[in-house]
Amino acid sequence: MPEKTSGARAIVEALEREKVEYIFGMPGGANLPFYDALWDSKIRHILVRHEQISAHMADAYGRVTGKAGVCSATSGPGATNLVTGVATAFADSSPVVAITGQVPKSMTGKSGFQETDVVGVLTPVTKYAFQPLSAAEIPAAVKKSFYIAETGRPGPVILDVPKDVQQEEAEITFPDSVEVRGYNPNQPVDPQDIERAADLLVKAQRPLLFGGGGIRISDASLEFKAVAELLLAPVITTLQGKGVFPEDHPLAVGPIGMHGRAEANKIVGECDVILAVGVRFSDRSTGDFGEFASDAKIIHVDADPTEFNKNKLVFLTIHGDANRALTMLLNALVRRISKRTEDNAWLARLRQIREEMMGIPAYKDSYAELSGPRIVKLMREILPGEAILTTGVGRHQMWCEIHYRVLQPRTWITSTGLGTMGFGLPAALGAKLAKPNVPVVDFDGDGSFMMTEQALGTAVEEKIPVVTIIMNDRSLGMVEQWQRMMYSRRYIGSRFQNVPDFVKLADSYGVQGTRVGSLAEFGNALREGIRADSPTLIEVPVSHEEDVFPFLPPGKGIKDTVHGTSKELSVF
Amino acid sequence: MVRLMRLNIDGMSVGVTNGGEDVRMTMTLEGDDSDVEHVARQLIKVIDVLEARTYSLQEVTARELALVRVDTQKVSLADLQKMQSCRIVDSSARSAVVEMVGSAVEIDEFISGLGAGVLDIARTGVTALPREVQT
Repeated sequence: MPEKTSGARAIVEALEREKVEYIFGMPGGANLPFYDALWDSKIRHILVRHEQISAHMADAYGRVTGKAGVCSATSGPGATNLVTGVATAFADSSPVVAITGQVPKSMTGKSGFQETDVVGVLTPVTKYAFQPLSAAEIPAAVKKSFYIAETGRPGPVILDVPKDVQQEEAEITFPDSVEVRGYNPNQPVDPQDIERAADLLVKAQRPLLFGGGGIRISDASLEFKAVAELLLAPVITTLQGKGVFPEDHPLAVGPIGMHGRAEANKIVGECDVILAVGVRFSDRSTGDFGEFASDAKIIHVDADPTEFNKNKLVFLTIHGDANRALTMLLNALVRRISKRTEDNAWLARLRQIREEMMGIPAYKDSYAELSGPRIVKLMREILPGEAILTTGVGRHQMWCEIHYRVLQPRTWITSTGLGTMGFGLPAALGAKLAKPNVPVVDFDGDGSFMMTEQALGTAVEEKIPVVTIIMNDRSLGMVEQWQRMMYSRRYIGSRFQNVPDFVKLADSYGVQGTRVGSLAEFGNALREGIRADSPTLIEVPVSHEEDVFPFLPPGKGIKDTVHGTSKELSVF
Repeated sequence: MVRLMRLNIDGMSVGVTNGGEDVRMTMTLEGDDSDVEHVARQLIKVIDVLEARTYSLQEVTARELALVRVDTQKVSLADLQKMQSCRIVDSSARSAVVEMVGSAVEIDEFISGLGAGVLDIARTGVTALPREVQT
């Protein structure tokens, strides 16, 4: 017998039925009824100091668990502060449910206090937007939000609830299941496509596997590895796909693209068949689309058919979930071939390319003791394989791309599609709450850190022990690099004259902070940090003139990767 | 999506279909074929869109409705009554409203044929269904 309950309590109960553990957010006038209902709930609310932080926390929670992270904000500026975080999740296909308060229906269109057309603003960067107009609509709206956010190609969904709907008392029933017309995420994989792909792959002389974020989302790493090992095919990844294949495996070549590994960028031009799984052929990965793997036949496996032939025309498409498709493909391959010998020309060529690239300036240059490559390599030695690394955006992130080997899936959490500075620390907090028993480290830059540094307050009061590393070059380092290389050193807006003393800043929040002067000090600080039961911060002063190589200039073909130079490059 | 690809909407007609359950939207877009095709393919990703595709004019039966207010001192009521392509649906002492259904080109020609007699025009934009398949 459905009792009368308020819309606000209906939202909370619907969230509890979705087994939500955390809500990251900030209350305000338009969502106070919702927050009042939350007071009685076991769901733990995590208060942030800027709503962008709550969206990043929800995003990282979603990337680590596969369950939608939940953030909440009030109307108007609360909701608009979510936009960057929601757009970040959208660009990287991350499951998030964002709940916003809205002005009462009677105030709609009167430019009331903190009224904004949130559905209008967020529609281009969400999978869907719900605006329930009565309390009775709420349970289905919440259930559909999670269903849409988590299935198919995941993404953020917004639930915008007018205040009077939160306050309305009504008889509420909770549906056991929901359907969404026009949305069919679980298309079966066509077995004929699989057979065609298997035929192509066994006949290939120089097969290559190309893995992206879709493998992480689908939890298909084991199947992907099994296919690689059966075919003895080298494996490249996108930046988002680091870790979908263990980067210490003999077949792992590394990420391709603008700051990919030189060996990876080289080998992709020499293969004859590519099995691309869960990638979207972003220009940052491929360089010039036409020139990318122009001699190879590409098999594209993806859950989202609108990615087929969008950027790159491919030979064969396989629509479906990566895990399902790879399992079927493995069976088809096993029916055709048995164990291959490692003594083959293609693997010999891979060895040759690796040897050739070992000596390039990007790898051989004597970097300063406190520099990206050396810090990142030491970090990998210290952190266990299951440790989660989040990053901001900039050169520090690119040093990780090139020099940090990711060993397990869902341990590399970084904004690649949107490239959002400020993602690092909030993402680390969300990841740590999702996985409290593994070390979580935010590897950050000064510019990125300063965008969301107030998240330190949340870290301390919620007792979330992450380690924040700031590679401090007192610059917008990547911008400075581009101005140096491509704008004739016409530096503008890329140097910070003033950055805070990050150790003092940390201290003012109650965070243990250290500034290190040597690799050894860094190592010790990191070891202590991951053992600590409270958040810590490590500042590493680095040179602003240390540029990241290899570099594939924008618009160029992947074979034009620059391997390291101190000369100025021409304007691209 | 349309705005993102910087396409102009020359005409748009929307109406209910499927027993009132769904809505059919027909857009006439001006731009590169590949951009228009891109929009159609990406629109399918929008959850509320059940189906989206592009057609060339040859692939469809296309019609548009136009209401035109005519100055009957420049084009007489008698002349309007004689025209095969349109129907008078309203009139007063000085002007009349005619209704015409046809292809977009036919309507363009009809309107330019009325010359200075045209006082106002309301066009619906093209709606279309795929042509019958001749087996």
